[in-house]
This record gives sequence, structure tokens and C-alpha cells, in this order.
Amino acid sequence: MVDLNSYIYLSLILFMIGLFGFIFRRNLIILLACVEIMLNALIILFASISYFRKDATGYILVFFIIAMAAAEAAVGLTLAVALYKKLKKVYTEEINLFRG
Amino acid sequence: MNVAVILIPVLPLIASLITLIFGKRYFKDKAHILPVLSLFGSFILSLLVLYDVIQGRTYNFDLYSWLVAGSLKVGIGFQVDPLSAMMCAMVTSLSFLIHVYSIGYMHGDPGYYRFFSYISLFTFSMLMLVLGNNLAQLFLGWELVGLCSYFLIGFWYEKKSASNAAIKAFVVNRVGDFGFALGIFMVFYYLGTLYYTEIFERLPAIKNAYIEILGYEVYVPFLIAFLLFCGAMGKSAQFPLHVWLPDAMEGPTPVSALIHAATMVTAGVFMVSRLSPLYVMSDEAMAMVAFVGAFTCFMAATIAPTQFDIKRVIAYSTLSQLGYMFMACGVGAFSAGMFHLFTHAYFKALLFLGAGSVIHAMHHAPNPNDIRYMGGLKKYMPITYATFLIASLSISGIPGLAGFFSKDEILAMAYFSPYPWGKAIWLIGLIVAGLTAFYTFRIFFKAFHGEFRGRSYLHGKDPHESPKVMTIPLIIISIGAIFSGWLGIPESLGGGANFQKFLEQVVYHHEVEITDHALEYGLMALSVVAGLIGIFFAYLVYVKNPRLETLFSSNFKKLYKFLYNKWYFDELYHYTFVLPTFFLARTFVNLIVDTFVIDHTVNGSAKVTTSFGGLIQRFHNGIINYYLWGIILGLILYFVVYYYLN
Amino acid sequence: MGAQDLAFYYLGFAMILSGLFTVFSRNPVHALLSLLVLVVHQAFMLYLLGSEFLSAVQIIVYAGAVVVLFLFVVYLINLQKEARFRVFVRRFSLGLIFFILFAFLFIKYFVLIFSMSTSIRTLLPIDPTSSQALKMMARYLFTEYLFQFELIGVILLVVVLGTVFLLRKAKEERLG
Repeated sequence: MVDLNSYIYLSLILFMIGLFGFIFRRNLIILLACVEIMLNALIILFASISYFRKDATGYILVFFIIAMAAAEAAVGLTLAVALYKKLKKVYTEEINLFRG
Repeated sequence: MNVAVILIPVLPLIASLITLIFGKRYFKDKAHILPVLSLFGSFILSLLVLYDVIQGRTYNFDLYSWLVAGSLKVGIGFQVDPLSAMMCAMVTSLSFLIHVYSIGYMHGDPGYYRFFSYISLFTFSMLMLVLGNNLAQLFLGWELVGLCSYFLIGFWYEKKSASNAAIKAFVVNRVGDFGFALGIFMVFYYLGTLYYTEIFERLPAIKNAYIEILGYEVYVPFLIAFLLFCGAMGKSAQFPLHVWLPDAMEGPTPVSALIHAATMVTAGVFMVSRLSPLYVMSDEAMAMVAFVGAFTCFMAATIAPTQFDIKRVIAYSTLSQLGYMFMACGVGAFSAGMFHLFTHAYFKALLFLGAGSVIHAMHHAPNPNDIRYMGGLKKYMPITYATFLIASLSISGIPGLAGFFSKDEILAMAYFSPYPWGKAIWLIGLIVAGLTAFYTFRIFFKAFHGEFRGRSYLHGKDPHESPKVMTIPLIIISIGAIFSGWLGIPESLGGGANFQKFLEQVVYHHEVEITDHALEYGLMALSVVAGLIGIFFAYLVYVKNPRLETLFSSNFKKLYKFLYNKWYFDELYHYTFVLPTFFLARTFVNLIVDTFVIDHTVNGSAKVTTSFGGLIQRFHNGIINYYLWGIILGLILYFVVYYYLN
Repeated sequence: MGAQDLAFYYLGFAMILSGLFTVFSRNPVHALLSLLVLVVHQAFMLYLLGSEFLSAVQIIVYAGAVVVLFLFVVYLINLQKEARFRVFVRRFSLGLIFFILFAFLFIKYFVLIFSMSTSIRTLLPIDPTSSQALKMMARYLFTEYLFQFELIGVILLVVVLGTVFLLRKAKEERLG
């Protein structure tokens, strides 16, 4: 029986996958992609709650989340591109202006 | 009147501090003004106080509470009685005159202001020592005069020999002060107080006290007296701590006159006299004082005739005369010792200042102190000549002059003393009297008679008399060198023995009355004869028949070498104390403690910081992922704390 | 086992799979394409969950703009050439421990919270299956959440400006 709990579990698993990628990948671009995965997990969560509780709050939030995800992806990628232009690298381990 | 007493040491202190702070910039050549004025003020006040004391009024008051620790309560206090009043007057009078003398002697020296500041500071210290009413203040003054002595001996600090001498003086003093401090501790331990009056009241309590040390039963009063006497041996340069005084001549001559003739070195005698009730409790202590004094007296008198440096001869003379004072104390005649201290201050200061005058005239010579380059100064420096003659006659015990009365008093008291060693002391004193006259007149004749030998060193010019600012103090002090003894003319010669009686109110004197006056006159005559023989021999060797000069040194080569090298004490101490200490310092302390312990600790703590920083540094590497891990870690902690511990 | 359930299972499985592909791909383009797959399935799920509007928005914005943006960036910086061997960060094992710990705790308490209360007051009642659903949602959007709506607009404006600003050339041009 598919009910709210299944959707929540799905959301959790997807979130964990996204988190996993986010904390382990070296490539900045893919890092941001993993953020998108996490945001998608949130979308599932809110949409499912809203559907099963018959509450519009979730849908509205989903709307905002999608907008926010777009904005954040844009800014993040801009920064990544700027960083690449300066350092010619996109890997987190090599982007290091500290050096010692 | 209390204010006057307080001002006596305070005036020089203020003058010293102001001169030290402002002297270089604002006073420069006039830096002597404040110290001289303040000393004059102190002198006048001392006379007023002395007058009061003669009338019979004594003072004993505390200025403020200095140390309060448990049952120890010590304050800065002043005790004005015959002993301290006399010392005050003597110290201030000489200090004032030597300040004036220094205006001429130290003229043009780059450290002019520093000199006056130091000797004023020294005067303050000495006065605090003398005026104190408790042992702690005595110790305070004691240490301070030692410190000022260090400053002043090493005044020309660029000269290596001077700074070495200053260090030597301070270190040797320190050895004595160690015993002194132990003595003070013992006094407090057994008598519970450090104030003189209370100490004397409580002395009967330890009359039969013994302490066990390493299996031996030691009489407590003797132990205390011995330990305190260690300090006196250091400060008054008695054997075995006498080695610093001859080297202290590296300092300017006014310093030698003030500190190493009249004041600082007499602090030991003062202390013994002040604590005379303690010393007479133990016969062993008296014997110790007497024989240490006698030995020093004799030893110094044998070294003095071999030295060529005029100041060194006078330094050994001081050692010898100090020995006389301790000899007097050791036979129970403390007032006689103080009497000799008093007269000695004047004629010794006069000798030093006269020597300073001569050195000042000879200062172009490579070694202006060397008597071999002097001679015939009689006709160039008449005032110096006359005053030096007076001082020499005084120290030789020629009747009519001060030294005769005081030295004779000692010899008489020694001979008639109830203590068994009195006669031995008397004999030593008599022999040394002859030696004293001999070596004193040796330098007198060598310097002032005959032909001037140093003309080549003075570039063909004649030596000239010193300026008035130096000769006038000489004249004034010579008055003291003559008449200071008249204050204590013994009854047998028609006097009232005023000086002794004055002091005997506070210091001990044995009860033996001299009844056999014929013997007394005989002894007196004997000592005068000894003095005259000494003068005669000096005349013989150094004026009449100069070839006799080398007679002793060539025929008794070994003995001469022994005496010339000061009985090899310096060498002895060098090998037994100095070298082992250096060795210990260089190898043990430097290597083990310094390198291993301290360096490793310092480097180690630096390493700890660095490695700890290195640890932290690994988290600050700019890798975003690791930062995230930190966040996650924090979240984990949050979960754990919030849910598990709730 | 209705069609919806089946759809859910399929979509869920596909999303998880494509998520894993995204995270574990070595080639960044592959990863982004997997992301695209994920997003499209997500859109279907939204349709499943009652809101066709959101589903359409998802396709237009997410799939049509965000993923395309990613791909453009990848193209611009020639990421192909930069492909290295290592996918993950160094000291992987240490982080794995942290992650597992966190995941365990998180899931445990997340589920705990959700299983606690079942009666939450509905704030904005709507019937997703009715034909009026969209109208209701729009109404809510422009009344209850008007401020947030406008704010989103401002944010998007800021983002546009920010992007232009961040990528402008420095004052001193190399070619003068």
C-alpha cells in the first residue's frame, strides 16, 4: 500500500543520496548537481504531504522551491565559472588559495 | 627633635636621588651643590642631636612599620644614644668634608654627578645602619653600604680591574653576610625580637642554652655571636674575608677615604660594640673576636711595608687598625675600640685624602699611585706634606696626637684585661705599633723627601699643590686627627676619659680598674718607644741610606715574596673557591641545566604549539567537502546530545 | 495494486537509480544527463501527486533551464579534458563513517517526528483531485503567499544582475 510513509522514505533516500554526493565529490559542477538532487527530494516530500493531507501549503512551497533551485543553480554556476576563470581548476582539492 | 633625627639620613637620600635623576642634564658640573648642602645640614643636625644626647636625652622611636609577618614585627626606627650619636657626628662630618674634597678631585670626570649621587646615597645608608634600633634595619643599612661600595669601587667601570674589584668586594661581603643573616635568624628564633632594647632584656633567657650541631653541643650565644661576626669579618675586612679591601683601591681616592677608612669598614666594629652584651656572654666569642683581629692586624702590618702603591699601603694600614679595634672589643674594652674607631676615622681619612692629593698631582704618570716615582714633594705641596705628616704621626702613636690616646687605651685595656689572652693581645699590639710607624713613614719619606723621581713622567713639569677645595678639607680633618683624641684622655694622664665614659652608658666595659699606674706609664712609654723605633728605621732606610732598601728583599727572598704576594691569600682563594665555581658553572650548570632542561623546555613548548597548529591546519585547507564533514559532525553531536541525553 | 502504486514504484526506483548514477558517474556529462532523467521522472511524480501545474513548471524550469545551464557550463569550461581518475575526495573512509552515523541518526529521528502526530491542522485546504485545484492554488498563491511570491521575483532579478556582475571582465582588459 502506497501511502504518505512510502513517499517520505523515498524522499529520505533521495536526500541521502544527494548528501552523499555532495560531501564526497570533487568536481564543483557535480557538487551543485547533487544539491539539485537534494532539492528534488524536498519537492517530493512537500508535494506528497500536501497531497495526502489535502493541504495547499505544500504545493505552494514546491513552487517556491523550484524557483529557488533555479536561482541558486544560476548563482552557484556563475561562481564556479568565475573561479574557473581565475584558477583554471574546478576540483575542490585543488582550489586552494590558502596553501599552507 | 624626632624630625631632626629623621632628617639626618633623609637629607642625603633626597640629594642623592635628585642628583642621580637630574644630574646629567641639569646639574652637570654643579652636581655637587645638593649633596654638599644636604650633608652640611645633616652634620649640623647631628651636632644638635649629639648635644642633646650629651645632656642625657636619648631617643628610641619607630618611624613606620616595615615588616609584619606572623610574630615578626620590625619597623624603620631610630635609636639615638651615645653610640649612634657619636657615629652620626663622625660620619656626617667626614662625609661632608670628603664631599667638598671631591669637588676638586673629581673635577672634569664624566661621571661627576653620578659620583656625588653615590656618595650621598652611601652616607644615607651608613646613617640608617648606625641610627637603627633593630637588627633588620642594621642589615638594611649593611647591605646598602655594600651596594654603594660596589658602585663606587667600580666607578670607573670601563676599567676591567675596577669592575673586577667591585665584584670581588661584593661577593666576599656576601659570604660574610650569609653568616650575618643566619645570625639574625637565630636571634629571632631564640629571642623572638629584633629590637636592640628587647634583645638585651631577653638575653638572660639563653644564658644556658645549647644547641646540638653535628653531634657537638654548641653554646647558643657563641653561635649567634660567631655568625654575626661573620658579617663583621666581611664588612670590616678581617681575616679570612679581608681580600677585597686592597683591591677596592681601584675606586677614586675620596671613596677610599670615606668608605674604606672611616665609615663602611667600621660598621663591623660598630655592630660588635652595639651588641656587646651578647658578646660578653660567651668567652669563646670574645676570644674569637680578639684573635681574628690580632691576626689581621699582624698580617696586614707585615704586608704593608712591601707594597709600592701608596693607596694599597694605606689600605693594609686600615686592615691593621681595624684589627686593633676588634682586639679591643675582644678583651672587653668596647669603648676603647670605638674610641680608636673615632680617631682612626680622622687620621686615616687624612692619610687617604693626602694620598689623593699626591695622586692628583701625579696624574699624568702611567701609575700615579706608585711611590717609586714620587719623592721630594715636600717643596711642591707644602699643605699636603704638613697634613700627611700630622696623620702619620697620629697613626704612629706619637703623644699629643689622637692616635696616641686611642691606641694606648687599647693596649692598656688589653694588658689589664680580665680575659686571659689580654697580655698576648697586648704584645701583638705593641709589635704592630712599631711596624705601623715603620711602613707609614716609609711612604711618607719616599713620597715627600729626597729628589723627585717622576719628572720624566710629568713631561718635565713640576708637580703642583692641589686646589683649595682639596687642601682646606685636609686642614680641617687634620685638626680632627690631632684633637679627636683629646676627648678621651685617660685619667692617668689628667684627663676625664670623657669619650669612654660617654660610650660606656651603652656599651660594655670590663670592671677592672687600673690601679698600678706605674705599670701603666711604663706600658705607655713602651708603645711610644715602639713608634719611635719604627720611625727611626724608616728614616734610616729611606732617607739616610737608600742602599738598605733592598737589604731585606735580597736576603730574605722567600719571606719577601711571601709578604709581597699578600701571604698568597688571593691565590689560595682562587684555586679553592673561584676555579671550582667556574668549573661547576661552566660544565654542570651550563651544560646540563641550561642546555638540557631549559632549552628543551623552551623549544619543546614551541614545538607543541607548532604541531598543535599543524593539526588544526589540516582542517583549514580550503577543501569544501571537509568543511561539510565538519557541519555533519556538528549535526551528529546535536542529535546525540538532544535526543540521547534528554 | 493500482496503476498509481505501480507508477510510484517505477518512478521511485528510477529516481533512485538515476540519483545514484549522478553521484557515482565519472564523466560529468553523464552525471548531468542522469540528473535530467531524475528531473523528468520527478515531473511525472508531481503529476501523480495531483498538481499538473507544478509538473509543467518542473519541466520548464528544472529540466529546461537548470540542467541546460549546467550543461552549458560544462561545455564552456571544457570539463571533458579535466576528467581525472579519482571521483571522490581523499580520506573517503573517514567521511563515510561520519555519513553513516549521520544518516542513521537522521533517518531515525526524522521518521520519529513524522510518526508522532497525525492530526495536523490543515492550513490551506484543497482537493488535489478536483478540477478546481489549480484555481485554488493560484488563489492561495496570490493572497496568502503574495509577499513570498513577490520576493521570489526580486530574488530572481537579483540573480540575473548578480550573474552579469560576477562574470563581467575586469577593468584592465588584456587586449586594451
